[in-house]
Amino acid sequence: MKRRGIFFWIGAIVFLVAIALMTKLIGNEYPFFAGYVILQFIVLAVAWSILGGHAGYVNFGTSAFFGMGVYTAVFLFKVAGAPLLVQIAAAAAVGALMGFLLGLLTLRMQGIFFSIATIALTIVIETSITNWRYVGGAAGIQLLRPPVTWPFSGYVQMLFFVQAALVVLAVAISRYIQNSWIGRGLQALRDDELAAECTGVPTLRLKVLACVISGALMCAAGAPAAMYLQYADPSSAFNLNYSVSVLAMSLIGGTAHWAGPIVGAILLGSTQQLLTVTISSEINVLVLGVMLVLFVVAAPEGLIGLLRRIRRKEGKS
Amino acid sequence: MERRTLLGGTIATAVLGLTFGLTSAALAQQPPIKIGMSMAQTGGLAGGGKASQLGIEIWRDDVNAKGGLLGRKVELIVYDDKSSASETPAIYSKLLDVDKVDILFAPYATVPTAPLMPMVKQRGLLLMGNFSFQVNSKVGHDMWFNNAPWGPADSWAASFLELGQKAGGKTVALLSADQEFAQNLAVTARDVAKRMNMPVVFDQAYPPNTVEFSSILRALKAAKPDIVYVASYPPDSAGILRAVNEIGIGDNVKIFGGGMVGLQFGAVMENLGSLLNGVVNYNTWLPEPSMINEGTKAFFEKYTKRAIEAKVDPLGYYLAPFGYASGEMLEQAVKAVGSLDQKALAKYLRENEHKTIVGPISFSADGERKESATLQAQFRGVVDKNIDQFRKPGTQVILFPEKMKSGDLISPFEAARK
Repeated sequence: MKRRGIFFWIGAIVFLVAIALMTKLIGNEYPFFAGYVILQFIVLAVAWSILGGHAGYVNFGTSAFFGMGVYTAVFLFKVAGAPLLVQIAAAAAVGALMGFLLGLLTLRMQGIFFSIATIALTIVIETSITNWRYVGGAAGIQLLRPPVTWPFSGYVQMLFFVQAALVVLAVAISRYIQNSWIGRGLQALRDDELAAECTGVPTLRLKVLACVISGALMCAAGAPAAMYLQYADPSSAFNLNYSVSVLAMSLIGGTAHWAGPIVGAILLGSTQQLLTVTISSEINVLVLGVMLVLFVVAAPEGLIGLLRRIRRKEGKS
Repeated sequence: MERRTLLGGTIATAVLGLTFGLTSAALAQQPPIKIGMSMAQTGGLAGGGKASQLGIEIWRDDVNAKGGLLGRKVELIVYDDKSSASETPAIYSKLLDVDKVDILFAPYATVPTAPLMPMVKQRGLLLMGNFSFQVNSKVGHDMWFNNAPWGPADSWAASFLELGQKAGGKTVALLSADQEFAQNLAVTARDVAKRMNMPVVFDQAYPPNTVEFSSILRALKAAKPDIVYVASYPPDSAGILRAVNEIGIGDNVKIFGGGMVGLQFGAVMENLGSLLNGVVNYNTWLPEPSMINEGTKAFFEKYTKRAIEAKVDPLGYYLAPFGYASGEMLEQAVKAVGSLDQKALAKYLRENEHKTIVGPISFSADGERKESATLQAQFRGVVDKNIDQFRKPGTQVILFPEKMKSGDLISPFEAARK
């Protein structure tokens, strides 16, 4: 267990060093633009699976959290020209608060009713932002990036690195949860909430905690998007596409292990980016749909589940 | 001697021929001029995006048939932006850094274009705009040129409200969708009404995806306005007109419409049919005698044939000819400058008037049209389920601008509906 931990942290450091080297060595900006989107989806998928995977509460409100992150950054940038790290920290705090409130909702709602409530949350927040003129309202708002901070050569490179750091943070948290009493408690309540409660698992506390962590990470992932796009409008920031993609990524990767959402996000995120610049028509939506159907039928536990099944079979033979 | 001369002559001819052959081969092998853009192929803007792209493709084929630009073929590289702002930064970075395009065209509409403006400003690139609204007002990029006929921000609402005032209107009602484009229009309409000393007696924004408008229209009717300015999106435009048909709008309304998106698209117009009668609405190009010329005749002949194959708007008046005009402007600039130098092209575009199939175009400092050429036209004598009627002059009579006027306003609205 301990050795695994050391390997994980060495891997994380190697990953961050590789990302930092990339920002120095690659002159072409496109890999950073495309890579940023994939990293952003990894954070979102990992954050989603903390609640959706471990606890089994299917959250359709990813876009609400993501959009709130974007608009927290927009607000702070407009009101005080806040630097990027402050924007992200504030977004995480807002996300944690939203997560707390959502966690309280789970007191009364479970299963499909909880999922519907999270969709409603997206609509309520989007409507409020649409009517808030200070942050651009329905017309959207354009933002001009401040000069880039040392040691980065360009703003996109900096955003790429920051998002990579968020990936490490999100994965470390998710991994910790899986291997600790929190993960075991969440799994118990996923299988049978009543039984878990009866055996002394503090279900409400655990659910609220999962919501808070998941919400904070999703909002934090959304915050740099304001500076990435240099534009924010409610229909793009709260696009239901984020919720659907993130759900698909987690399911395709597999929710039983912390690595599942990462695999799913890399696979689906890169496919999306690739299709945008290759097929680039209605067919790319179809390809994604077909992929999802195939995975649901052939690998209901995701890629990680499939891998485990194959290993088990090999072990038997 | 003679033999020598013959030999020399043969060698000289061979060398000359070879040189000529090589040069022409080099010309033919010169890399094409790449024009890059993203265009909505999926999502809410796809209908407009595809029609616009077809217009640009027709220009590409025409210019290539004439030998291309600077002796090089023109090639378009187009990616789908899914109608979303979040896709365009990566796409344009790919176009610039990987595909190494020579010229950039903007995607159709405001939202996908907005994130590009800081990018092109930072890199000092020319961007030919495509029907976005006031996207450069905050960024202030001097190499941006919008092909849309909007002109100054307030001219849109001003032309409609002036028509209403001339017809005897004194009060205004505003009905607008809670979305980007409609809200931009509503804001300018409020300012213009204030400037013209016309009180706004009703001002309501409704959420997107509203389908039932009868209660809103009853409230609007109760305020007894003279002028009703509507800024709506395609599904709501249809819903509003159906509700007007059911419950009426009151005898005192002199003029109705203004900023209803959707009433420019063939399928929507065919579907609404006679419900359109009397509505005065914005448009960009119409087959009225004042706008038809040899260029548009030739263009729509090609467009009508190719639209069936491409499954896009069969009429295509709203966007397609302006996509073609973007190409024409670029063509003139490249010919005049003699290179693809972005700064020189921008300077030429800024300082000259350009002859296009949609009329002469000249730009003000912000890259928008110097003068508004946005039409206000009134639907007349429209019958149900007939798309071909819209190809004939007279179904949409142009009331504004004066230069292109093809008739006078019929008022009040209730009389014009009959």
